[in-house]
Amino acid sequence: MKRTFGWTLAALGIGLLAGAAGNAHHSFTQFDRDVELVQTGTVVRWAFNNPHSWLYINVADDAGAETLWSFEGSAPVSLIGRGITGATFEPGDTVTFMYCPMVDGRPGGHLGWARLGDGTFVNPSDGGCNGNAANIERWQEWLEEGFTSNTEAVAATR
Amino acid sequence: MKAISVRARAGAVMCVLVFAPRLADAQFGAGFGPPLVNAPPPMEFETSAEHYAYLLEQAGGGTTHTFETLPRWDGLWQTAGNTAMDAFVDAPRFEGQVREGVLTPEYEAAYKERWREQIELGQVQYDRLTHCEPPGYPRFLLEPYTHEFVNLPHMSYQINDFDSSIRRVHIDQEHQNVTGTHSWYGDTIGFWDGDRLVTHTVDLLPVDFTRWAPMTSNQFESVEVWELHSYPDGTERLEVQVTFYDSYAFVKPVHAVYAYRRATGLEDAGYRVIHWECELSNNAYMDAEGGTDYRLPGDEGYVDPRGFTLFPELPGQSRDPIYNTTLGDD
Repeated sequence: MKRTFGWTLAALGIGLLAGAAGNAHHSFTQFDRDVELVQTGTVVRWAFNNPHSWLYINVADDAGAETLWSFEGSAPVSLIGRGITGATFEPGDTVTFMYCPMVDGRPGGHLGWARLGDGTFVNPSDGGCNGNAANIERWQEWLEEGFTSNTEAVAATR
Repeated sequence: MKAISVRARAGAVMCVLVFAPRLADAQFGAGFGPPLVNAPPPMEFETSAEHYAYLLEQAGGGTTHTFETLPRWDGLWQTAGNTAMDAFVDAPRFEGQVREGVLTPEYEAAYKERWREQIELGQVQYDRLTHCEPPGYPRFLLEPYTHEFVNLPHMSYQINDFDSSIRRVHIDQEHQNVTGTHSWYGDTIGFWDGDRLVTHTVDLLPVDFTRWAPMTSNQFESVEVWELHSYPDGTERLEVQVTFYDSYAFVKPVHAVYAYRRATGLEDAGYRVIHWECELSNNAYMDAEGGTDYRLPGDEGYVDPRGFTLFPELPGQSRDPIYNTTLGDD
């Protein structure tokens, strides 16, 4: 099912964000929402749970050593409206994703967008990071230019 | 790697700031259908009980409905905006100042500090729901998870998907409080005035309107008028005109309107409300500075929502039976 998501569906789903974002039961002070970073890793678990979803991903460093990273997303009730279900990410999938890091530097953050294995983008974000359509469009250009940080990308385009 | 300039970082910050107010403002479903219009009562009442009694008298004692004549509001609903913040903050929302003279001095001072965090720090640093408190009332009205409204002749059930909260409106009955204390959703009675449901809620615990809105006291009460509206453009919206009373928090009663729209998109996608609770699925907590932080896998106190029960040695005790994943420390 997850492989059937196309850009159009994703965009439509993202459009629903305006009415559904920010389901959080908590503040987002633990995330640096000014910083957007991109990583690629292997899905360990997609916990499509209330009050928030969590995507757990193994990310390998240059030496190949893996670290488990944890990323918060929005609630299922919001994500279903964007075409995201409990089967969108499956263990073993390779996913590239943008996130806003935890301010204390631990291996985690808040999800922005995610690019699935077939190249489609989905928006699992809540108020802790910006994964909306406009930001995905912006990031698609930055990804083509090889950027993995919004600050670097902005610096280069000024 | 290219050097990161202060200017570039400022640009990135600007991107975030541009989106932040829009997201925050839209998150309770505002913008669906025509603008919401406050319809306060025709006169001011000293107490919510007087207000409710007035409406009951105006309705001639109310309408007695049967299963066949009751308005049907069942199905899934999503929030479609509200005007509650307009009473407390001068426009533009999320940029304005706390309106003085609405809250009592103690509550106004407390709210100004909360609003200062919202404005100066970009967000209130901690939300009481973080440690799994129920939303309570009035926050129930705007929680952006799904709502359900089930009307029966003797009772209306109002369900909020957030932590499976339920309000019960006891139709044509008097208040009761056999527990001798207040509760998250208090005690609600009501009557039907034609197709309008009028309610009176008392005996509430102190909560808040939401994270960036004022706190309420244990004397908070309300009178609501619920009605399904259909507009010429085809918009269908369940609207509730609410007058809030709080002798500790408000100088005088406050009025607002909340709205809901049918969540047909969710229903079409197969979404069903399932029971969930916060204790076993939440790892957020208040840190030493009063801010919000998370326990991650491997941290002391981390709760694995998809881990095992207290009997992991028994077969079939995983809460992740489809994928059967582990996070390394399970």
